[in-house]
Order: sequence, then C-alpha cells, then structure tokens
Amino acid sequence: MSAVYVIGAGMTQFKPHPDTEVHELARQAAWDAISSSGVSPDDIELAYAGHAYQGQCFGQKVLLKIGIVGLPVVNCENACASGASAVWGVFNAIKAGQADIGIAIGAEKLASAKGGFTPLVADDLESSLGRVMPAVFGMMARKHMERYGTTLEQLAKIAVKNRRNGVRNPYSPWRDEITLEQVLTSPVIAEPLTRLSCCPVSDGASAVILASEKVVRRYTSKPVEIRSAVLASGIRNGVGMADDHSEMTIRAARRAYEQAGIGPNDVDLCELHDPFTIAELVHCEDLGFCAAGDGGRYVDEGRFDIGGDVAVSPSGGLLARGHPLGATGVAQIAEIFWQLRGEAGERQVPNARVGLAHTVGGGVTQIEAGATSVHILVA
Amino acid sequence: MNATRPLRSDLFVEGTPPRLIGSRCRETGEVFYPVQAMNPVTHKAGTIERVELDGAGTLLNYTRVLRGIPGFETPFAIGVIKLDAGPILTTQLADWADVDLRTGMRVELVIGQIKRDADGTVVTGPKFRPLEGSPA
Repeated sequence: MSAVYVIGAGMTQFKPHPDTEVHELARQAAWDAISSSGVSPDDIELAYAGHAYQGQCFGQKVLLKIGIVGLPVVNCENACASGASAVWGVFNAIKAGQADIGIAIGAEKLASAKGGFTPLVADDLESSLGRVMPAVFGMMARKHMERYGTTLEQLAKIAVKNRRNGVRNPYSPWRDEITLEQVLTSPVIAEPLTRLSCCPVSDGASAVILASEKVVRRYTSKPVEIRSAVLASGIRNGVGMADDHSEMTIRAARRAYEQAGIGPNDVDLCELHDPFTIAELVHCEDLGFCAAGDGGRYVDEGRFDIGGDVAVSPSGGLLARGHPLGATGVAQIAEIFWQLRGEAGERQVPNARVGLAHTVGGGVTQIEAGATSVHILVA
Repeated sequence: MNATRPLRSDLFVEGTPPRLIGSRCRETGEVFYPVQAMNPVTHKAGTIERVELDGAGTLLNYTRVLRGIPGFETPFAIGVIKLDAGPILTTQLADWADVDLRTGMRVELVIGQIKRDADGTVVTGPKFRPLEGSPA
C-alpha cells in the first residue's frame, strides 16, 4: 500500500466572516491548497469535505467554483472531528489505490449563532436536556481537580500560552496577549470555566492536498508523510466526556503510535483538541506527553510551550486560532504541514520533525463521544 | 398559565414519586436508560422489556451553567447521576440554588422544566433534586 503525503495546504483566517458565504470561504482555502501544492485542478481525483452544519453536497458546491467536477466527492459529518475525518478518508482512499491525488476540505460558518454556544443537537437526549459543551468540560475540570489537585491557575496558564501562540499566527483573529488575571476574572460560562477558558465559535475553512508515493516527487521535494491516521468512536461509559481522561483518545493514540513506529517522546509538536483549557491538560496526559495527573505540573514548568518538551498547539489551537467545527481538523494538518517544512513564521517550532494532530467530536448520549482522531505526520 | 409538554413521551411517568421509563434485558438483567430497541451489550433483539425505574441516585459530577442558550433559564445546574437501578445519565438538577453541591450526594428524581419552546410552552423532563443532609 502506498505511503501518503501532504503536499499543499490552505486556510482562511478563522473569525466572523459575515459577508462571505461558507462555500466561498472553502473555495479560498481549497484554491490556496491547490496553488501551493503545484497540482492542476484536473489532477485531483477524489475529495472529502468535512462540515457539521453546511447542508447537502457541500463539497461539490465548493469544488464547482474552481471547476473541479465529475470526481467522487464524499461529504463527511463527525461534529468537531468532521475535518479530521475528511483527512482520514482521503488518506485511506490513496492508501487503497483509489486515487493518487486527493483533497480534504473542512469548513464551517457558525459565528452568526448568537450566544456563542454551538447549536444543541435536538436528536441527542442529554444535549436536549441542556448538557451544553461548556458544562461537559466544566465537569471534566472538576473531576480532574478533585482527583489530581489540578488548579484553576494551571488551567488559566493554558489559555495564556495558547493566546501567546495565536497572536503569532496570521490565521488567528487575535493580536493581543492575555494575562492569567484576565483569564481567571473573565465571566464564568460553566463553573469553573471562564469565557477566556473557552474557544470562540468561528467561521473559516481549510484544505490540504494529499498525494501517493507514486506521484509525490512530481510536485515537491519537501513532502510531509502522514505516517498514521486513526479514527475511533467512544465506548459506552454513561458519563460521556465528563471524566478526568478520554478512553477513546488513549486508545486511538496507542494505535497511531504503533502504526507510525513512533512514541510520544518523539513528538515535537501537537495540534490538540482544546475547545476548553481543561481539554488540553487532559488530552496531553491521554496522548502520553506526561503521566495521568502530571499535566498541571507540566503546564507550570512550560513543558508544552514552543521550546518545551512538546509544543502543544503552536497555532494557538481551538482556544486561540478559533474553532469553525468542520474546518478545525483540516487546519491542524495544515499547521503541522507548515511547521514540519519550517514555514510557520513567528510561531515556528525549532527543528520540528514529528507532529501529531488530535480531535474529538460530538456529544452522543451513553458513549464517551462521537469521534476521535489521531494523525501522526513526519517530515 | 403556559402549556406544557414532555421533552419526549418515552422518558418518564409522572406520579408520586415519578419514575423513569427504561429497558431491562430478560436474559442478562441489565437495565438501560433511555429505552432501548435491542440489547446494546449482547446485540440481541427480542430480549428487551419496558421497565419503570426508581429515581433514587448519587451525584457523580456537576456544574453550574451561567451563560445560557435560547430557551434555557440561567443559571441552571447540570449533573451526572448514577441511578441505584444501574444506568448513568446527565441532566439538569432541581432546587439546587441554596444547596452546597458536592459529588457523592444523594439525589432523587423530579419532573420539571427543562426549557421553553419559542411560543412559551414549558418543556418538561427528568431532573434530580439534591437530598440535603445525606452522607457523602
């Protein structure tokens, strides 16, 4: 089976785009990815489009704007992991010999949803009872704090660190750093999480071009290999994500490390699913960057900073780049692609060779969550 | 007075005390909430029967939500409840405002307002009320 490489990436800025329709945002990202890769639109043999709320045949409508028609297009919904699932789909199609060049697109336009919460999912029981995401992660925080003594200051430091990274990322809307005091005193959304402990709802799009071993050298001398791509869903646990660890993340990461022949100590940077500060701390433990319960101490010691043991969310992450649901998983792959090619500008992780992307998506009553993905990329 | 409607017709029966509507497997005895069409553990169909569940349970986790979403009155409290009957569910707490909430607290089922429809209709569903003074 063919190895699979990333050869191009594109992204819009993640922020409210009130005057641009979502198909146009996705076109811009897709065209940037195509242009940067050197492929001709006619070379693209297969497409996956990840989104959660953008309607039927979204990917076809986006590609039509570029004049890419006739190819197989799969539209892919896995809540916040929709984009990551799209990358996984293209990866597997190329690996299986279905195509030599494919595009994964992720996009969402949600910032117009007033109030800042993503829409409640009416067909999910607990969601319709009021189990909003800030409440889920508030309870994750309580559990971790009660079990391990993690502090609010440690959680707040994650928001400060990710904003520091985000202001150096031109795709983030923010240009101002924030202080620990600001994070701790901003209005509480769901205890103990304050507004600055939560990611914003954004509009945006991202796209990546993937290529097979057979054709990759035609397009670039600096390909980035996707060494493993793992997608999993939650098992029945009753409590959902309101726990001090994510079983499905631990399970997906173990498989991804095995497939890649790479361990957590080899990872130079991680684009991690951090819709709330506590999620970064918990998932760093789940991904093996530190032992369970040590996350707070590692945050205190700056070991997840750029220049630390593993740079976590050098892009700013969901917290400080933004989180247009379907776009996020693709944007993570784009960020790692740029980082591993040394093209990440002011936020560049020095000597980055191995990157890991992690997403979680979808509250589903009775199971932990709808989806998780782990992709490991190697320069 | 506003009209009311249950969130779903298969979640609970009102009464003193109210009960939850769940499922039990005749083969394994496992109890599920909400209602199941088949046993999701053994993957067998035809072994599931309707059962009314006692609403006594223990609070495993909780949080207060201060910023709301359309239709929900804030602040509201969310809890994860382990029913004595077996299943675990996440829903709103009732009568929590003057209670020092803590994990391990005993709670009991009440039927109350979850949210309002756009036309003002009160949507009811299962909520859990802390039983003060109970051992942690």
